[in-house]
Amino acid sequence: MVSEKLKGVILRELDLEDFDMVDSTTASMVPGWDSLKHVRIIMAIEEAYDLRFRTLEVIRLKSVGELQALIDKKTA
Amino acid sequence: MSNTVWDYWTANVEKHPDREAVVHWVAGEPPFRWTWKKLFLAASSFSIRLAEMGIRKGDVCALIIRHNKFFYPLYMAVSSLGALPAVLAYPNPRLHPDKFRQGLEGMARRSGLDWMLTEKELDEMIRPLLTQSGSTIRGVLFPLEWEEDTSRQSMPPTRKVTDSSSPCLLQHSSGTTGLQKAVVLSNRAVIEHIHRYGACIQAAPDDRIVSWLPLYHDMGLIAAFYLPLVLGIPLVQIDPFEWILAPVILLDALSKENGSLAWLPNFAYNLMADRIREDDLEDVRLDTLRMVINCSEPVRAESHERFHRRFAPYGFRRESLAACYAMAETTFAVTQTPPGVEARKVNISLQGIGKGIAESAIGAETVRRCVSSGKPIPGCEIRILGETGEDLPDGSIGEIAIRSVSLFDGYRNNEEKTAEVLKDGWYTSGDIGFRQEGELFVVGRKKDMIIVAGKNIYPEDIEDVLSQVEGVLPGRVIAFGLEDEEAGTEQICVVAETPLTGETERKRLRLAIVETCMGIDVTVSRPYLAPPRWLIKSSAGKPARSANRERAINELNYQ
Repeated sequence: MVSEKLKGVILRELDLEDFDMVDSTTASMVPGWDSLKHVRIIMAIEEAYDLRFRTLEVIRLKSVGELQALIDKKTA
Repeated sequence: MSNTVWDYWTANVEKHPDREAVVHWVAGEPPFRWTWKKLFLAASSFSIRLAEMGIRKGDVCALIIRHNKFFYPLYMAVSSLGALPAVLAYPNPRLHPDKFRQGLEGMARRSGLDWMLTEKELDEMIRPLLTQSGSTIRGVLFPLEWEEDTSRQSMPPTRKVTDSSSPCLLQHSSGTTGLQKAVVLSNRAVIEHIHRYGACIQAAPDDRIVSWLPLYHDMGLIAAFYLPLVLGIPLVQIDPFEWILAPVILLDALSKENGSLAWLPNFAYNLMADRIREDDLEDVRLDTLRMVINCSEPVRAESHERFHRRFAPYGFRRESLAACYAMAETTFAVTQTPPGVEARKVNISLQGIGKGIAESAIGAETVRRCVSSGKPIPGCEIRILGETGEDLPDGSIGEIAIRSVSLFDGYRNNEEKTAEVLKDGWYTSGDIGFRQEGELFVVGRKKDMIIVAGKNIYPEDIEDVLSQVEGVLPGRVIAFGLEDEEAGTEQICVVAETPLTGETERKRLRLAIVETCMGIDVTVSRPYLAPPRWLIKSSAGKPARSANRERAINELNYQ
């Protein structure tokens, strides 16, 4: 499940007030989430959770659910 | 005698069959290394199959394929038949299927597309185009599904075209939907250009070109595909989608493959300087990199500074900061800064720019730092034109016009557009600039086109789709670009008139504007809702884009 914290970081970076996100949500479904913004979002998540993603992890992410699972794994 | 690009490719395979031609990079996998011999054998296999499917000399073949190691031999196979390859962008998942089809229809009308060579995944999306009345498209093929038939490979495949004036390729000017203009380039134009431009940057077989640039763009196709393959320079090709997600991949490839030449649009300098972390750079060395050529977007001095500051500790040299002014209509480059010398910067007074004069800024005046795009390459001439088409002297700001041995003959099937820009052998670019000591400095555009991350976007495309959004007054919307210093590119702003007054419905409308633009693969950063009759009209009764842009900047806190 997508946490409020992760959703908050994404919405903040995209300058969005609200947008429903579920596990299967992909970047292309979220207004303003393009590839240029993607790099900013990833860096904002790294800062918010004090963690680091590896290059391949970033490239292989397919959905917000996968992003959440990766964060959970790294912060466990 | 070498008359065609194909002749050069054949000569390379005969001279250096075991030398690397293309190194295909995929993150997390060992790179796939095409030697000239392997590449030609694969091209031969594709060539036979394509001929069997009915592809003939002169047919236009669109290639819509993601980063795939078989793209290169497939492209060569199309060339071997004397057909015209045209690389088109693979649709982004954000792009609405109808918009993608409309774009293809527009291109088919202009270019007379005969064949689509694409991936199975797009079958459903593309198939309806075939059955449409008046469609020129004769078939959709999925060559990546074909098994390589090694028993039918010959070396080299049969050559179908021998004349240097024969068409070599077709490329499209960028744009979101129906406004792409097709440019056909002859073998002669491409070969002449590569030799002249290659000499300017001292390109040699011991160079290594590393690129993530998409091949549907002239910078990627000419600089990072044709140039290396004609001159026999190994090319390292990275996936554009992987690079944008993890920009460090380019530095990794440059480092591991001893890259010496790279072309980048301006935003990439900022992105890499700001978004690559220190610990990702552990194994990176950029000592072999002799030129990084800034092209396709206005060159920004601050971006060069940032890039150099960030990567100097990793061996990147200041003198490797180069720049080029280029466009599809001139095959590629018009001007280029020389190797071994940093692209020159000058401080110009903003007040002077307003008066059309590029005068040095003194004291505390507001200053625009301009970066040189270099001198015209051999075979190219430039003029700076005033309002009535008169020649302006050095230091005066005007429209850049170009004459070149590699100039296109006109937009395919589009006499009207051709007549607008091509007069007496001179191409008027729509870009604004000045000359100083023989070097060209580009300062802006006469046209309203917006350039975001190297991609040209026409405001009309955005305004058209937004006029159809419920809540927006039809025809009462403008889109324009605004400098985004942090990103080193432009961001897209929209002002739309609406009668809606409730905060909830206005919030919903702003979101709808952003979502609608996503459907044409455009990201709007700032949708602003204005009351009816806010937009200033032109004499033709339409919103005047530049006047409204100024008003929006002044009144809506657009900085």
